[in-house]
Amino acid sequence: MAAFGSFALLLALALAAYNLLAGALALRLIATGRPTAVSPERLAETARRAGIAGFAAVTAAAFALVWSVFANDFSITYIAEHSNRALPAIYKFSALWSGQEGSLLLWAWLLGAFGFVLRLQHRRDPKLYAYAGAILAGIQVFFLAVLNFAAPPFALLPDFVSGGFVPADGNGLNPLLQYPEMVIHPPLLYLGYVGFSVPFAFALGALMMRYPGEKWIKITRRWTMVTWLFLTAGIFLGMHWAYAVLGWGGYWGWDPVENASLMPWLTGTAFLHSVMMQEKRGMMKNWNLWLIFSTFLLTLLGTMLTRGGLVSSVHAFAASSIGYWFMAFMVIVLAVCLFTYILQRGHIESEEHLESIVSRESSFLFGTLVLLAACFVILWGTLFPILSEFVGGSKVEVGPAFYNGVAVPIGLFLLLLAGVGPLLPWRGTSLGGVRRNFVLPFIVFDSTAAVCLAVGVRPWKDGLFDRGSFYALVAFALAAGVLTALGSEFLRGMFVIAKQSGRNLAWAKLELIRRNPRRYGGYIVHIGVVIAAVGLAGAAFNRSVEGEMALHDRISIGPYTLECAGFTEDSNENYNSEYALLDVLKGGRKLFQMAPEKRVYLASGQPQTMVAIHSVPGWDLYVVYEGADPSTGQPIIKAFLNPLVSWIWAGALLMMLGTLVALVPGQKLAARKRFANTPATEEVFQP
Amino acid sequence: MTPLQGLLCGVLLLMALMAYTFWPVKAFASQRGKPRLEYLLERREELGESLRELDFDFRTGKFDEAEFQAQRARLKGEAARIEAEIDPLLQA
Repeated sequence: MAAFGSFALLLALALAAYNLLAGALALRLIATGRPTAVSPERLAETARRAGIAGFAAVTAAAFALVWSVFANDFSITYIAEHSNRALPAIYKFSALWSGQEGSLLLWAWLLGAFGFVLRLQHRRDPKLYAYAGAILAGIQVFFLAVLNFAAPPFALLPDFVSGGFVPADGNGLNPLLQYPEMVIHPPLLYLGYVGFSVPFAFALGALMMRYPGEKWIKITRRWTMVTWLFLTAGIFLGMHWAYAVLGWGGYWGWDPVENASLMPWLTGTAFLHSVMMQEKRGMMKNWNLWLIFSTFLLTLLGTMLTRGGLVSSVHAFAASSIGYWFMAFMVIVLAVCLFTYILQRGHIESEEHLESIVSRESSFLFGTLVLLAACFVILWGTLFPILSEFVGGSKVEVGPAFYNGVAVPIGLFLLLLAGVGPLLPWRGTSLGGVRRNFVLPFIVFDSTAAVCLAVGVRPWKDGLFDRGSFYALVAFALAAGVLTALGSEFLRGMFVIAKQSGRNLAWAKLELIRRNPRRYGGYIVHIGVVIAAVGLAGAAFNRSVEGEMALHDRISIGPYTLECAGFTEDSNENYNSEYALLDVLKGGRKLFQMAPEKRVYLASGQPQTMVAIHSVPGWDLYVVYEGADPSTGQPIIKAFLNPLVSWIWAGALLMMLGTLVALVPGQKLAARKRFANTPATEEVFQP
Repeated sequence: MTPLQGLLCGVLLLMALMAYTFWPVKAFASQRGKPRLEYLLERREELGESLRELDFDFRTGKFDEAEFQAQRARLKGEAARIEAEIDPLLQA
């Protein structure tokens, strides 16, 4: 299978290169109108087909790798290093993306899959799709070149090549990755990373061909939203994995690889909002182009950080030469973007300008600026260790205090804008309009702040200002105000429809969403953001306690008392494990039992913590079995009481639900289809 | 699978994909540029959506009457300019 896989990868590279060169040549010939022996349209068609064929070849290579994992072919280095015989089947499948070579193959396969779908839809606008297809082929050439020459997934073990030696078993999968969420977290994140290639390709293609109008935005809107959905899901799943597996009680540690996923999310979110201004009013064309260019470059940076070994991280892999490949490719992409922009910038003059500071456009503009500021701060913090080593010779790490100090106020401002934006109409409003729309959310904001102060959420502790509690207070008050604003948007729309139709409010709500799913789906996403923000603010009140626990020893945290009911051991062919059995009591009454676990994986010999979590809406009781104290032999238990954590996951689910709603074609689409009486394409029949 | 069998499978894949890529097709999509009319129809559709949203926002109380009429007149004016450009192109 190694020979077949390697051959398929080489074939995929040749097809992607043909797609790029023939596609570019055909577009050039069409642009110049020069007569040729072969019709440029025919040449473009072969380029398009080469893109589809390339996807088949990458699929064959990915299939060969998965097959080899299941066949325990340890003559392949990648499989010897990332799998073993006793690995459960589901994790054998995830071995495809557990290492550098496999995950680059996944990147290439996903890019091929996106390109496949895109090339099948080319009749919507053949010329624009041809440009986008050629650009995607260029990206694919890079990834396949890396896979063929720098990080080959089918490389054979040196001992096998020299003497035919095949190890009896592999090293096994990294224990951190042997967790159900890890089966889907990396592919989701990669779907998010790779997906941004599509709007990038369309934006760059539209600029190259001086595309008239904003239809490319409509074509890519769903791509962008789906991509954003995948990236959001991937980030939150990663947070949940970190929370449930790493055993430090938190879910976000400002690790460089976490940051690498957040940065394109921030610019992608900015793009999704800002591009609406271009679509609706022909504004911000330069800005939007650079937003999507930056987002794509950040996805490359993220992949380089994760796979290039440039930074220290729990996710990053050993240092390798592919970091230089990525750097070179990023420089090429930036140069192409800059060159095209300078050449064609006359084409993207804005048709209209900002008319009022109190308008939806201005709220989008502020929002995108703030998102970019957040992205820049995170980028600076992430790259600072590399830059400091390059300049001063020693690596200076940037800790969570730096990020929290900047990101939390920025996040609060974004939370405010999540409520302000929807209340403002396009083009502007008067002072009376502002008063009419904002008075209720403002009252709710004030009342919530007063209630929070009354119940003990105060920005001071022992007479001193406490920044964490202050931010939490502001977050709770803002959340209430923003929810009121969004709720009032729904209610006012529902009342109008109910009055028009004579139906009840429940029907009116469904009808409201059906009529404009993009707008109201977006509002649901904002509600999700608010709920998640409340959950994040809860971290200001986290508590923890740690102690050695012999049989029947007790420790208390919040309303709970943990009593040690015993310890037990278990083993299977993949790992040995130790459990602590802890009775959880409240008011002297036993409520339930928790069993935090520590595993030692047999193939790799690496230990792994499995946290026990009891989640209720108010808080999570989070218990870690840290193993035995080497000096006393007593087991160590660490317990956390983390308020409102489940709100984060609930908010994430709402964000995803809202995005799915926004993806549903609304009445507008039906209207659009009625309008589309002029075909965008025509057939060219050749005798 | 031996290396030879693997290479044979690879050659079969190569032949199938080459045949698909270079198969002489009779009909394929034109790569003509987008005509002005198509652009204008898209713009008209966008203005229609903006007008519908404006009407709905007015009914939900987001605007007072004067603001609403001013914005509506502006959008209508733009729509009229586009219609004026579309008509001769449609007749042609």
